[in-house]
Amino acid sequence: MRKELNKKIAHQWDDTIPEGLQERIKQRQGRRQFLKAAGVVPAAMLIAACENDKVTSVTPMNAVSAFAMPPWNTFFAVQNHLFPKDDDSPGAEDINATGYLKSVLALPDMDSADKKFILDGVNWTNDLSRQMFDHDFYQLTKNKKEQVLQRISLSSAGENWLSLLLLYIFEALIADPVYGGNTDKIGWQWLNHIPGFPQPPENKKYYLLK
Amino acid sequence: MKEYDVCVIGSGAGGGPVALTLSEAGYSVLVLEKGPWFTEEDFYKDELTCCRRSVYTPDLKDEQHVLEDYDGQNKDGSYKWSSQPTAESGSDFWNGNCVGGSSNFMSGYFYRLKPKDFYLRSAFGEIKGANVVDWPIDYAALEPYYTLAESVVGISGKILPHKHQEPRSTPDFPYPPTAEHAVSGLIDKACHELSMTPLPTPRAILSTPKDDRRSCEYSGFCGSYGCSSGAKGSSRAALLNKAIKTGHCTIQPHAKVYKLSSDQSGKVSSADYFDKNNVKQSVSAKIFVVACQAIETSRLLLASTGPKHPNGLANNSGQVGKNLLFSAGGSGTGEFSYKQFDSALSQSMQLRGPFVNRGLQDWYFIDDKAFGAPAKGGVIDFLFRHPNGISKANGEKWDDNGKLLWGKPLKQKLKTVFADTKYLRFEVFNDWLPTDDCFVSLDNSVKDKWGSPVAKIRLGYHDHDLKVGRYLADKSELVLKQMNAKNIRSSVSGSPPPNLVAGGCRFGNNPTTSVLNADCQAHDAENLYVTDGSFMPTGGSVPYTWTIYANAFRVADIIKNRL
Repeated sequence: MRKELNKKIAHQWDDTIPEGLQERIKQRQGRRQFLKAAGVVPAAMLIAACENDKVTSVTPMNAVSAFAMPPWNTFFAVQNHLFPKDDDSPGAEDINATGYLKSVLALPDMDSADKKFILDGVNWTNDLSRQMFDHDFYQLTKNKKEQVLQRISLSSAGENWLSLLLLYIFEALIADPVYGGNTDKIGWQWLNHIPGFPQPPENKKYYLLK
Repeated sequence: MKEYDVCVIGSGAGGGPVALTLSEAGYSVLVLEKGPWFTEEDFYKDELTCCRRSVYTPDLKDEQHVLEDYDGQNKDGSYKWSSQPTAESGSDFWNGNCVGGSSNFMSGYFYRLKPKDFYLRSAFGEIKGANVVDWPIDYAALEPYYTLAESVVGISGKILPHKHQEPRSTPDFPYPPTAEHAVSGLIDKACHELSMTPLPTPRAILSTPKDDRRSCEYSGFCGSYGCSSGAKGSSRAALLNKAIKTGHCTIQPHAKVYKLSSDQSGKVSSADYFDKNNVKQSVSAKIFVVACQAIETSRLLLASTGPKHPNGLANNSGQVGKNLLFSAGGSGTGEFSYKQFDSALSQSMQLRGPFVNRGLQDWYFIDDKAFGAPAKGGVIDFLFRHPNGISKANGEKWDDNGKLLWGKPLKQKLKTVFADTKYLRFEVFNDWLPTDDCFVSLDNSVKDKWGSPVAKIRLGYHDHDLKVGRYLADKSELVLKQMNAKNIRSSVSGSPPPNLVAGGCRFGNNPTTSVLNADCQAHDAENLYVTDGSFMPTGGSVPYTWTIYANAFRVADIIKNRL
């Protein structure tokens, strides 16, 4: 009875719990799922992927020089596919999503299991990409990238990896610019998001407070 | 070892009033706080700090809980319970661990209990499966301290007469209401059309400056955030800063008390703690006051065995940890598109900063044949969806079928949610009935980083809680409907909100069925008092903080008279 109920409301995130807390709960529950699934699902998924693998023509994409090296070229390509630039809205590159992720992963408070999972996802994405289209992910056309990510999202580990990358894209989009994303407050402007005040100065970033 | 008059363990809403009252009276007070000491200089509107990283709460790898959830029934009909450490599940059960405790991060919806809340058992009779009892004190004993808290903590509001208004010794609040949002008028209109009585919600937020605290600056980011103006009536800003100025109060942060040692007579002799460098320290005092928030208070007492306390300090009744309370109820949402208003109203609806500050108490007590026999009901509060942007965006990345969204569909959804929609929410608060299935014990395998057993919490609830919650949620939805909100939905569940917790050391006149006496003094340890929400045998249907403040001021006076 109780379990059923909890399941039913799980996606609604009943806000009697402070929102921030719920989000952390959700984030951590997510991680547990990836870690459980990461060892098992990808292999099965890869086999499935091989079965109808048809390599078509490839148009390599030039990654921006700052993120030209692995694994950043893959992160850059995945992030910009998940959150592409449009005429009227910023994309992952505009909010420095890759630079932001790089800095987050370098912080000492980053959970080591989370970090490993995020980095492992790069290899796994490129493995799949090569099996499907004979090239690394960042070299694929938009259409093929979409096929790879759709395939990835079919496994719970893959879905969780993409979900985690989206979370860090949202942080780069909406967190205070002091953390290196949200360049010139472009994320806030696009969303008409009114931030609170006072805003954190350099010496009061969260990892300097504890 | 220096001896203090009073040693207070925990610096939140239960500890602050004791520290202030006794230091002002000239007694030497030491406050031991497990967490760090943040001030206004550390509080910024930074979503990563407040809500996405463990800054105000411990890393779960270092300190966690074990939660026991209902997991079906055995063949004989008894319940099965499955337990899981929170470092595995991620169900973080910490609130604020720092000087001032979670009162730093509250939204400050402040309600008094009502006279009948002190004798629910006599008023409404027994509810099968629930351990409802009358309190050993009545409302009149607490009223002067509710009033004291209004002026000392700084509570803003306005009294409007209504059928469930509790008696007051003063005509109105000492601080006028905080600024209100345009939506408050729309709520009033809808409620009046429905013959409901909308009431301004009292807030522990200064609407005008007080001492060295500035008044609210209306950034729109309040709950979950530390207050940078000092307007929020946290134990730290409102009480401890004043206590320090007396010259008689010392606050020791990073002091994790792991045991209260007791002597052959049963009296507490020392508080034993780990300091910032994880070195063991001890301090002695004439009187010890425990206020670590309900769960950790029970945990500390259970861990503190002694010659006269073989089952844990003050636990010869076996009642420590029992009848833990949360707040029952749920929440709901309705949506408004800015386009549905004329341009002036659309502009003011988009404004961020002023508070909604509207609630309903029409069903504080339910007398409705459609519900059943007369029963204790609860309160409804209206509020906007929390303005945290990252969590809002993150909640939108799934489509209606639970599939992950990205690319253009995701961006279009984000734009609509952020730029075109205002979300008005309501929260329902009703009594979490005390039962045998909700309690704190010590886990026998999981330990914290100092080697102490962590608290294990069984999270059972009573079905009656859901019935009342649903009744109130349905009433709340009527208001949103009357306001022409779209996509109205609500959920009522038995999921416990970890920030609304009380009970575990109920007070009462009978030492075999309660932990504390009417003075919140342990029945079997005469120099031990508990002043957080642990004392409450029943919770009432409102957030607990004002009652915790008031009761702690009451007990502080009792201790003062004794010293």
